[in-house]
Amino acid sequence: MDLDLTPVFYQLFVGLYRASIYWLIASGLTIIFGVLRVVNFSQAVLLVLGGYMTYTFYNLTGSFWLSVAMASISIGLVGVAIERALLKPLYRVDVTYQLLMTFAVSLILNDAMKILWGKLPISVPLPSTLAVGIGIFGRTYPLYMILVIAIGFAVYIAVLMLINRTMWGLRVRATWRRPEIAESLGINTSNIYTAVFFLGCVIAGLGGGLVIAFSPVVPGLGDFLIVSAFIVTVIAGLGNLSGAYIASILIGVSESIFTLYLPEIDLLLIYLIMAISLMIRPQGIFGER
Amino acid sequence: MRRMLGHEIYSLVIISIATAVIPLSREPYYIYLSSLFMILSIFSLSYNILFGYAGLLSFGHALFYASGAYSFAIFTISIYRDPLVGTLVSVAVSLILALLVGVLTLRHGRIYFSMLTLAFGMLLYALLLKWRSLTGGSDGISGIPRSGFIIDLYDPYARYYYIYVFFLLVVISLYIFHRSRYGLLIKSLGVNEDFVPYTGHSVFRLRILAFIISGSIAGIAGALYAILMGVVNPDLAYWTTSAEPLVATLIGGSKFFVGPIMGSLVFVVITTYASRIAEIWQLVLGLILVALILGSRGGVLEVVDRIWRARRYSGLRI
Repeated sequence: MDLDLTPVFYQLFVGLYRASIYWLIASGLTIIFGVLRVVNFSQAVLLVLGGYMTYTFYNLTGSFWLSVAMASISIGLVGVAIERALLKPLYRVDVTYQLLMTFAVSLILNDAMKILWGKLPISVPLPSTLAVGIGIFGRTYPLYMILVIAIGFAVYIAVLMLINRTMWGLRVRATWRRPEIAESLGINTSNIYTAVFFLGCVIAGLGGGLVIAFSPVVPGLGDFLIVSAFIVTVIAGLGNLSGAYIASILIGVSESIFTLYLPEIDLLLIYLIMAISLMIRPQGIFGER
Repeated sequence: MRRMLGHEIYSLVIISIATAVIPLSREPYYIYLSSLFMILSIFSLSYNILFGYAGLLSFGHALFYASGAYSFAIFTISIYRDPLVGTLVSVAVSLILALLVGVLTLRHGRIYFSMLTLAFGMLLYALLLKWRSLTGGSDGISGIPRSGFIIDLYDPYARYYYIYVFFLLVVISLYIFHRSRYGLLIKSLGVNEDFVPYTGHSVFRLRILAFIISGSIAGIAGALYAILMGVVNPDLAYWTTSAEPLVATLIGGSKFFVGPIMGSLVFVVITTYASRIAEIWQLVLGLILVALILGSRGGVLEVVDRIWRARRYSGLRI
């Protein structure tokens, strides 16, 4: 029997693309949680907002990559505003209130986006140089998806290097381990918190810019993305960067494969993986504790 | 908590008398609003067992609300046509679900719990959308019977007092519970979890207990909602539904027994008089939340309590 594996490879590839989007949310969640001990519920909503901003900047400038860059920075600044104005007063209060605050922010942003950009799906045309396919083993793979997967991986390497290999990363790690001692050594932990939040939000904004060029963005999109990103980080173990990258790929790829073979339950599969993973390793596959 | 105990009983009596006499107005709209208030109160009281008592922030409490509503609808339509039996079945279904979800979510830290409850809530939402043959997909289920073999709720007044009886039952039993031994133990989870093991109790088991009680009472609220509306749809399980008891509880004050009830009252009034803002409902909920978290985490009742105590100089402590 001649088994044609091309569709499987293609689904694997689509899964990697999907995984990269999850990763662009989960990475921000992970570094923000790692350092600030805050789960940023609004991470996925910020990604969607990044998509909308890319759309607006694209209409103004006409350049796709410039718009993505501007949107990422803007989302970073929105993040800084959220951290400084809304989260900072809550660091001394119980953790649930910080989570509640980011939850409230995502409720607000969800509707604000509906008001500003309407309820209809919006997309940005791909630059013509990217809207091509690459033929591999008789099947064409969109170049843009390959690029997004590569960017996802580049973000992973970049964040890892930034935190593990730079002086600034050392300060971040010091703040993460022992905020009080870091403070006593002259590190401005308050600035570190804001900078890390900025970084996490920039990645979300980048993700939004990348998504909107490929699939249209609608206001409710963030609701499902945040659930997937939560599942990814829970499976990985909260605060574990490499774990989050691997878990994103695990979830993205298996979702994609199941869409091919069991389309009836593809929506439910991710929860099934979560439940099984929780039963086997409650602390997360890569979590220690 | 303790300081307003005396006043809490007064306010409970006032509320139960007020809700009892509302049908005398013969105004269908007031009766409807009062029913909504009672259902949201039950839902919020159940929510506060987790949030205010055990210190667990759930983003998926709509799971039990929706499971109560759907199991009522499915049971009364296709198995046995009776509201009372249907309500009891809803409670049982929600209880079993709470046990299952609780075992999977409560072993972890409180942050994990919040994230996982969101995921499980959305799991039910996805299930309700996908399992068309049982749940009717995005259309939901309509034509839920109100009359049955044992009791008849066809009359709107009968329906109202049916909800009222459950409202009273829930309020009284939770009032007794929150001062009971296990009620206090669950509250101690919210104060300091690390000390609980010294009492010889398992944190996990106490959390499970809180979760089961909370989930099954949310199931009652869901069943009553199905009776009141006659229709159910998947939005009941969406995360924004979980935000409603949360906001109501925060408005009233999570540290007071009557907090969720007072909050529900304010909540229903706001939603009614601002029905024009239905389009931007999430935005309003979010803004209220931000204001409460930054301004008054103890809710309206804490503000009242503070004013009261400043006047009386702590003379009324019980």
